[in-house]
Amino acid sequence: MENVNESAPILKVEHVKKSFGDLHVLKDISFDLKAGEVLSIIGPSGSGKSTLLRCLTQLETVDGGLVQVDGKDMVVPNDSAKGPAVKYAPAKMLREIRLSTGLVFQNFNLFPHLTVLQNLCLAPVRVLGDGRKEARAMGRFLLKRMGLEGKENAYPCELSGGQQQRVSIARALAMNPKILFFDEPTSALDPELTGEVLKIIKKLAEDKMTMVIVTHEMAFARDVADKVIFMDGGVIVEQGTPDHVFRESGNERLAQFLSRFTNT
Amino acid sequence: MSELSTLLPILWGGFCTTLAIFGLTLLFSIPLGLLIAVLKMSNWRVVRYPVSFYISVMRGTPLLLQIVAIYFGSYYLSEYAGVDFSFDRFPAVIVAFSINYAAYFAEIFRGGIQSISKGQYEAAYMLGMTRTQTFFRIILPQVVKRVVPASANEVITLVKDTSLAQVIAVTELFALAKKQQAAYASIYPLFVAGVFYYVANLLLSVFFAYVERKLNYYK
Ligand SMILES: Nc1ncnc2c1ncn2[C@@H]1O[C@H](COP(=O)(O)OP(=O)(O)O)[C@@H](O)[C@H]1O
Ligand SMILES: [Mg+2]
Repeated sequence: MENVNESAPILKVEHVKKSFGDLHVLKDISFDLKAGEVLSIIGPSGSGKSTLLRCLTQLETVDGGLVQVDGKDMVVPNDSAKGPAVKYAPAKMLREIRLSTGLVFQNFNLFPHLTVLQNLCLAPVRVLGDGRKEARAMGRFLLKRMGLEGKENAYPCELSGGQQQRVSIARALAMNPKILFFDEPTSALDPELTGEVLKIIKKLAEDKMTMVIVTHEMAFARDVADKVIFMDGGVIVEQGTPDHVFRESGNERLAQFLSRFTNT
Repeated sequence: MSELSTLLPILWGGFCTTLAIFGLTLLFSIPLGLLIAVLKMSNWRVVRYPVSFYISVMRGTPLLLQIVAIYFGSYYLSEYAGVDFSFDRFPAVIVAFSINYAAYFAEIFRGGIQSISKGQYEAAYMLGMTRTQTFFRIILPQVVKRVVPASANEVITLVKDTSLAQVIAVTELFALAKKQQAAYASIYPLFVAGVFYYVANLLLSVFFAYVERKLNYYK
């Protein structure tokens, strides 16, 4: 018999729907992810990738479907005929779930008035109640892992984009999340700086960090992912192993999308 | 020069009243302004609308009129109600200045708060910070930096506005200088009063330049 804990997905998404007014941005999204896996989400801009991440990280609410994180129901369909189509977990549970998910933003969103180390320590100390000393030690350890030794007292504005993004990855990791989401982590960077960020993410993947990465870096998506999702027009057009999505799929929209990257 | 030695102590006494109006007004109007700014951004119309009305009245009518209204208004209302809650002259001035300047500060603070990007709130939210933590640890420190230049203007205007207190016979610097002008039959006392105002504002300018430089440790 299989060990239930090992086979149960750490992230389960079923029939998720999301609209902004009349605009149906997510139409019927279903997938799941196991602990230690890396999922890459690719697709043309406007296809709903960011909205999907924002729904999974509670920055937006869904209009339909089910999301389960680490075995906990974040939102489930509402069975009763009356009321909204979904039922969210109580605030306390949502917060607990939120603390188990981290998000790395496209434009970093570091706190500009705090030093690098303060950026890393603020939430562990104030939210998790860690000791100041251990938080700082953890912060220094993470900075070292990010190749940012000696930058702890710098302010974000003194760093390059690539360094800022690595700080923001460290800030998310400092909360010890179970799943880390990335929304185009290299799109705001100069091309010569994307490599250093991708290298860090690759290292996290080797350390079996569970990650969901929206990216336009196709080679990276293929190399790092256990699973790839291709989205277009608010639906998952294709999903599977990198080999399946990048080589074997005969899907026309996918082929057309991928051709844009090989032609350049 | 003997004139100056008798004039200076008199004007100094008035200047102390001026400083008291100045200091107390800042003490009350800045926190009140912050509160009003937050209320004006409320999601509830029952909160937002009255606050907007209050701000528009404070900014749309002369401070001079507001001082008179607070002083005499509280007096007549007390008569009418049969309960004495009328203000003395000095407290009336402080109340009028505080609620007037709070309205101006509120608009400055609101602009500052709204200029902080949504991403800052979202980053704090993802880190599990409460709304209070987010406001006081993430938003407010950044707002302070952004509102210092505009607030400095208000503060310097306030130094000069204190002279309006004479309308209800509070003997601040300008009122005393005018009295001395009549006594000396010369504009010399007014000139000296002008120097007081000017030096006070010069010191404030230096102070604010220093603060702005201090806050420039990040962009
Ligand atoms: N807050 C919002 N309000 C209204 N429309 C939105 C909002 N956020 C996203 N959209 C729309 O949803 C669609 C999908 O956007 P997005 O999820 O950002 O796509 P992607 O990240 O794949 O580029 C776009 O048409 C976008 O304009
Ligand atoms: Mg996007």
